[in-house]
Parts: sequence; structure tokens; C-alpha cells
Amino acid sequence: MRVLIAAVAGAVLAVVLALVAVPLAGQNGPTSAKPLLTSAPARP
Amino acid sequence: MRHRLSLVLVALAAFFAVFGVMLRVWVYPRVVAVPDNQYQAVVLEAKDATLIDYSRMAGVPHQHVTIVQTLKGDAAAAEAEKRRSGRDVVVWDGLSYVLGNDGKRLSAIPEVYVFDARSQEPVHCCGESVDGEALSRIGVEYKFPFDTQPRDYQYFDPQTRASAPIHYKGTQQLDGLTVYYFEQTIPWTRVPFPKAMPDNVAITPVQIDALGYQRWYTTVRKFWVDPVTGAPINGEEAHNEQLRFPAASGMAPVTIFSGEVKIRPDYRASALALVKSQRTLVLMLSTYLPWGLPLFGVGLLGLAFVAEGRGRRRAEVLTAESVPLADADEDRRAGDVTAAQGTPAAPL
Repeated sequence: MRVLIAAVAGAVLAVVLALVAVPLAGQNGPTSAKPLLTSAPARP
Repeated sequence: MRHRLSLVLVALAAFFAVFGVMLRVWVYPRVVAVPDNQYQAVVLEAKDATLIDYSRMAGVPHQHVTIVQTLKGDAAAAEAEKRRSGRDVVVWDGLSYVLGNDGKRLSAIPEVYVFDARSQEPVHCCGESVDGEALSRIGVEYKFPFDTQPRDYQYFDPQTRASAPIHYKGTQQLDGLTVYYFEQTIPWTRVPFPKAMPDNVAITPVQIDALGYQRWYTTVRKFWVDPVTGAPINGEEAHNEQLRFPAASGMAPVTIFSGEVKIRPDYRASALALVKSQRTLVLMLSTYLPWGLPLFGVGLLGLAFVAEGRGRRRAEVLTAESVPLADADEDRRAGDVTAAQGTPAAPL
């Protein structure tokens, strides 16, 4: 029983941490992958 | 004590296993996004291109054309759209500025491209346009979605103001990365003249239209795309434009521009460095941690079993040792003291 409680506690903590991580990261956080330009429309 | 250690290990194992899964299914799709406030410039070149001389109405070979492309994220417009619709969008104000041999402007075409910051689905708001002409894009432009798949996509062509398939043509190794190669062919199509004409041409697009002149264009667009970030690490275009005249005039088409447009090597190198750094961050959330943490959790669970097993074996040994002593005690007289009697039971 105590093993089950320990596992559930660990899992719940993980879920809470993941939920909190999203708003903390924000749109312009460090994990935002920056895009690149390579399209080359020449319009002389 | 060992039992308590086992419980802690089980809790940690559950934590890491669940956290790893949550990173992939919950955090990754919500956190990995295109920033709405980025500014980026890239310089492309067409060496040995053919370029029209409007004074002679003839194509002149061996020209060096430079294209400066800039993208500026309009954060204020993105935030306004977020307040309105609740959606995270990116509003890119783009400009393609084309320069000739003499450094004078040949054309400048502005664009407003709006898309969902995560899925890169086009969003129709915030003045979406090409060269001042409002439109509704379909598909992607400039960048592919995160987790790009090896399949065809719809790619928006700003010259024709229309989208067409860009075909997945295979997986290649480029600069140490595994990339997807895409290719799009736009057949000869009549396209509008840019509103900003060359510096030395005193004629407007409206006047050109009135003369019955037409601008036709074809291109083969090539992209080498990092599938993790969806960012192209190289791009090329075999680009051709013609000035065509009314059939009654009997005049042959004149080449406006014909050349192979490629990214200047220094910009390509900086683009590659940027992609490499960003893809590591994305991979951490999409692959490394979602797989690594559960595996670490399994290891911790194994340690918990080991700790628990040792604890139980030790308890069994101590119990086995204490039973004969207890039996012997019954045979002893009261008051006899053995060495074992003073020893407390080992804690479990």
C-alpha cells in the first residue's frame, strides 16, 4: 500500500510540474525554435 | 531504513517516468513555438544572371543580383490577435529587396504573413498581404512546421499569390544534419508587376499594364529542411521572368531576370548554426527527455527492488538467528544473560 502511495505521489508531482512548466516557458521562452529564411524570390 | 529508501526510489521512478511522458504529450506541443518578435535577415545572390535593361528592352547577361530578405515579427499585432481570438500567432512583416550590379534597387516587395505559432497553420488576419494586395494563404511559407514529415506540403508562392504542392524528394545528409529535400516547380504563369519598379525606370506598373505588357514567371524552388525545427538550412531557386508583349506587336519575349539564386555562404553558415542550437532544445523536449527520463525511472525502480530485496534478506537472517536463541532461553534459568539478549532487533 505504501509503495502505491509513493508511486502516485511521484506521478502527481510530475503532472503538476509539467502543467506549471507550460505557462512558465511562454511563447518567447528559450525553447522557441527560431525559423529561418531561405526562400529566394528574385523580383528584378 | 531500507524500506524507506525503497519507497523514495519508487516515488522518484514514478516521477521521472510520468514527467518524461508529460514532456512529450503536454509540454512539447505547447511550449515549442515560433517566437513572435524575431528579426532576421538573409542575403541571397544570383551570380552570372541575365537582367533586363529597360532602356534597350533587352536582357543583359553576366549580372550580379543581390536579394536582401528580412522578416520582422510584429509582436504588437500578434498580441492584439491573441487578445481577440485567444490564439498564439506570429505576424511576419517581410521585405524582399533586390539590388543590381550598381547597388540600385530593382524591386522591393513587402509581405505580411500570419500563422499559428505552433502548428504553422495560416491565420487570416492582421493585414495579410503581398505587395499591398490582400489575400488568404494556404499552406506554409519560408518555414516548415515543427516535426516536418517526409510528405508533400502546400507552399505559398508570393509571385503567383497562390499555393502549390512542394514535393518531398528524399532524405539527405547536409552539413552533418539529416534533412528532407523538397522541390516545387511553378510553371510559366502570368504574375503582376511589383509596385516598386527599378530606380532608373520612370514607368509605373499601371502604365505597363495599359501598354498590354505582361510579366510571366517560372521557378524551381528547392529546400533542404531540418525536420526537427522545420527550418530550411539551405534553399535555392532557378528563377526566370519574362516580359511578354501583346500578340499583335509581334515582339519576342524579353528576359527580365534569369538566374540561379542561392544563399550567400556566410548567411548559410549562420543559419546552420542557429538551426543546430535550436534543434537541440527541441529534441530535448521531443525525444531525449521523453525517452531518457522513463528509462532512468525504470533504473530507479530496479534499484528499489534491489534495496527492498536486500532489506528483506537481512531481516530474514536476523530473524533466523534470533529464533534458536529464544528457544535456548526457554531452557535457561531466569537471570541467565546471553550476549544476544542485549542486542536490539535490526530495524527494517
